[in-house]
Amino acid sequence: MNSPMNRRDCLRVVGLSGLAAGLSSATLSASSAQGPAESSGFQSSIITRDKVQATEGSPTLVNGKVIQPQRELPVLDETDVLVVGGGSAGVVAAIAAKRAGARVTLVERYGHFGGLWTGGLVLLITGHIIKGGKQVCQGIGEEIMRRLEKLDGAIIDRKPGSKPTVDAEAVKYLMVEMTEEAGVKVLLHCWAADAIVEDHTVRGAVLESKSGRQAILAKVVIDATGDGDIFAAAGAPFEHRSHNIGLVCRLGNLDRVDPARAARAPKPKHLGTRTPIPGVHWVNMHGPEVDGLDVATLTRMEMSHRKFIWKNLQETRRTPGYEQVYLLETAPQLGVRITRVLHGLSTVKFSDVRAGTRFPDAIGVGGADSGDHGEWQIPYGALVPLKVDGVLAAGRCISAELHMADLVRLIPNCFVTGHAAGVAAAVAVQNKCLPRDVDVAQVQKVLRQQEAYLG
Amino acid sequence: MSLRRRLAAFARRMTPPPPSRTRWLVRGTCLALAALALSPLVPGTLASTAIPALSPFVTIAAIVATRTLPTLAWPGLAVGAITLGRHRFFCRWVCPVGPCMDGASWLGQRLGRRTARFPLLGRWIVGLTLGGACLGYPFLLWLDPLARFAGLFVLGDRGPRLGLGLAIAGFLALLLLDVLRPHAWCACACPLGAFQDLSASLPGSLRSLLQRKYRDHEEANQSLTLPRRMLLSIAAGIAWGGTARWRHQGTSRPLRPPGAPEELTFRGVCTRCGNCTRACPAGIIERDLGQNGLASLLTPFLSFREGYCREDCIRCTEACPSGALVRLSLQDKASVRLGLPRVDMNVCLLAEDRECSVCRNRCPYDALRYVFSETDYTLTPQIDREKCTGCGACEAACPTAPRKAIVVVPT
Repeated sequence: MNSPMNRRDCLRVVGLSGLAAGLSSATLSASSAQGPAESSGFQSSIITRDKVQATEGSPTLVNGKVIQPQRELPVLDETDVLVVGGGSAGVVAAIAAKRAGARVTLVERYGHFGGLWTGGLVLLITGHIIKGGKQVCQGIGEEIMRRLEKLDGAIIDRKPGSKPTVDAEAVKYLMVEMTEEAGVKVLLHCWAADAIVEDHTVRGAVLESKSGRQAILAKVVIDATGDGDIFAAAGAPFEHRSHNIGLVCRLGNLDRVDPARAARAPKPKHLGTRTPIPGVHWVNMHGPEVDGLDVATLTRMEMSHRKFIWKNLQETRRTPGYEQVYLLETAPQLGVRITRVLHGLSTVKFSDVRAGTRFPDAIGVGGADSGDHGEWQIPYGALVPLKVDGVLAAGRCISAELHMADLVRLIPNCFVTGHAAGVAAAVAVQNKCLPRDVDVAQVQKVLRQQEAYLG
Repeated sequence: MSLRRRLAAFARRMTPPPPSRTRWLVRGTCLALAALALSPLVPGTLASTAIPALSPFVTIAAIVATRTLPTLAWPGLAVGAITLGRHRFFCRWVCPVGPCMDGASWLGQRLGRRTARFPLLGRWIVGLTLGGACLGYPFLLWLDPLARFAGLFVLGDRGPRLGLGLAIAGFLALLLLDVLRPHAWCACACPLGAFQDLSASLPGSLRSLLQRKYRDHEEANQSLTLPRRMLLSIAAGIAWGGTARWRHQGTSRPLRPPGAPEELTFRGVCTRCGNCTRACPAGIIERDLGQNGLASLLTPFLSFREGYCREDCIRCTEACPSGALVRLSLQDKASVRLGLPRVDMNVCLLAEDRECSVCRNRCPYDALRYVFSETDYTLTPQIDREKCTGCGACEAACPTAPRKAIVVVPT
C-alpha cells in the first residue's frame, strides 16, 4: 500500500457520495478513516491521480500456473469479537456480544442485514413454537419480533402460537437501528474470504471488498456465514451436504384477482402466501437438491429459476382473473438451505428431541416446525468446532445431524444459536479463555439476564 | 340315560357344594392377583399376558388355527394338562372370573332369580370354535372368560371411549347373565369350563373307544354322547369357518399390529383381551368399533394420528396371549411391513411450495425422499418400497389437518 493516497480527498468523496449519511457512525469508526467527514460542495472529486494502482502482491502466471505471492495485508481493525455474516444469527450474535460487554465488529457481504430472512425473502418465522403453542425463542429474537410489531406494516400473524410473516425492508431497517443502538461496529459489502489462523486458533478473518483485501483481528470469531466459510477455512472438520436450492420471489396485485372470473379456471400454482403488504405474496421455491458451494451450480440455479419464475408468471397472468398479477421482485439472494455443517463437540440429534434430553450445557431451546414435538435444548458443544479454537458457529451451520438440519436452519433457531454464540464469545473474551474452555454456567447466566429461554 | 339321571346330574352342576373357607381364600387371592397383574401397577407385559394366557381353550384353538405355538403357550398347556386329570380344577381354584360370577349369582338369587335350566352353550362354543380353527378361523374364541376379564382393564387406554365401553360391556354382559340366571355362565355357557369338561372326559372316552369294553349299553351311550355332539358342533364350525373367507370378501382390512397373521385368522385368534393396546408405549393400538365388519369388532388396529410403531419396540407381540400377534425379535420386526404410505398431493404442503420436510426427516428407515420436478417445479415425496415398513412415523408427523397428506394404508 504505497500509493500516495490523499486522506483528506478520500474523506471528501465519502462525505459527498452520501455514504456517511447512509452508513452508521459505527460503520465509519470501524473503517481505517477515523476523522469526521467533511463536505467539499463538489459533485465529484479526484481521489488519486495514480494511473498505475499498486500491483504488488497480485497473482502472476508462473509456468502457466496462477501463483499468489506472499504479501502483508493491512489490518483494518482489531476487536474482541468478530461476527462474520449479518444474517439472523450474526446480527443477534453481534448485539448479544456487545451487550455482554465486548467490542464487536460485524461484517456482512451484502448491503443489508438479515441474510436469507430478508435478502432471500424467506419471510416466514417458523420453528419458534412447540406442541401446545408455547414460544421457546426468547431473548433478542423475541425482541426483534416485538419491535417489528411496533413498526407499521412490518409483521403480520404475530399471535401466540402462530407463525408470523415479516416485511423484508422493515427487518433490514430494524437491524440497522438495533446494531447502532447496541454500538456494534459494522462493515457492509465485505466478503469474508479467509480465516486468519495461528496455532490451530482462529485470530481473525480476511475480508475482500472494494477496499481490497484487508484483515480484521479478533479474540473470538463467530462464524455466522451460514456456509461455515470461516471454520472450514480454519481447518475445522465439517460435513458437506446438498439441499434444495430455490429462488424466492414476490408477486403483486393478488388483491386485484377477480374472484368471479378466477372461479372459472383452475387456480394457478406457485401463488405463495400473504405478506404484510396488501396484495403482495411471497412465493417459496424448493428447487433441486444440489451443492450450494459450487459456483457453477449456483449460477445454473439462478438462471433456470429465473426462467421458471418468468414462465410461471406468464401462465398466471393468462389465467382468467389473474391478469393484473405482476412480479414485484426475485430475491437478491439465492435460497441456499444447507451446505457445510460443523462437526462440533456435541451434535443436535433427533433422538434427543424425541427423548427430551436435558443438556447441562444447554444454551437455548429450539422449537418445532410443525408443532409435532416438544422443545429441544441446544447444547453449547454444538457451536464449538473440533480441532480448531477461537471460533464459534452460529446459525444453520452448527453441528446437527442430517434430519435436524431442517429445524436448526429455521430463523428463530438461528436467533437462538446466534444469541448463545454472541454471549459465549463475550464471556470468553472477558475471562481471557478459549471459547471451548468457557464457563458455560456464566454463559447461561448472562443469557438469562438477556431474557433468553434455556428450558 | 334316563331323564331322572339327567336331571340329577344337572342339579349337581347347577348347585355347587358350598365352597370351603380355604377355597374362598384361594379364589379371592387369585382374583386379587389377576387384577393386580392386569393393572398398570405391575410394569412389563409378562404379568398381564400370563392371565389371559392361562386359558387352555385359547391356547389349543390358537395352535390349531395358526399351526404354530403361541408365544406364551405354557400357562394354557399346563392348565390343560392338570384338568386332564382333575376335572374343573381351574374353575374351582384359580379362575378369577368365578368369584365375580358367584357374586353376580348371589345378587340374582337375592333378587329372586331362580337357578333354572340353561342350554349347554359352552360345549357348542368349544366345538364350533375348534371346528373353525381347523380352517384357521376360531370365530368364537373371544368368548373366553379370561379374555373378557382382561378386557375389563382399560386404564391407560387411549382409544375412543366407545371402544373402552364395549370392552367393559363384554364382561358386564357375562355378569348380567349370572344375575338373570344364577350360575348359568360357569356351569353351562363358559367355553373354558366346557373345554375342561371335555378334556377331563377325553381320557375316559378314548379308553372306552379303544377298548370297547362297556359294562353296559347305557354307559357306552353316555360316554359316546360327548363325541357325537362334539362332532356335530365341530362340523358346523368347519362349515362356518370354511365359508368365512367368502363371507368376509369385500370387507375392509385395517392396519394390524406387527406379527399379525392373515386377516381372517387374526379376526378369529384375537381374543380382544386388550393386552396389546395396554402394552403399546406409543398408544397407537386402538379398538375396532365395527368399521370393518362385525367380525372385526374390538380387534386391535393401528392408528398413526398421534404416534407411530417404534423401531425399538416389540411389546405388543410379547403381550399377545393367543398368538394373534406372533412374537417378533427387533430384527424380524424391521422386515415386517405393516402397510405402505400413500401421499395426497392435494393436501401435501410441498404442493404449495411450503417449507415442510417433516415426513422425510422423521422416517426412521430413510425410506422417504423428495423428488423435484423440473416441469412443475415442486417436490413430491417418494417412498422407497424396499426400505419402508409402514411404521407410520411420516403419518404421525404430517402437520396437515384435518386430513393428513401422508397416510399408511394396508398393502
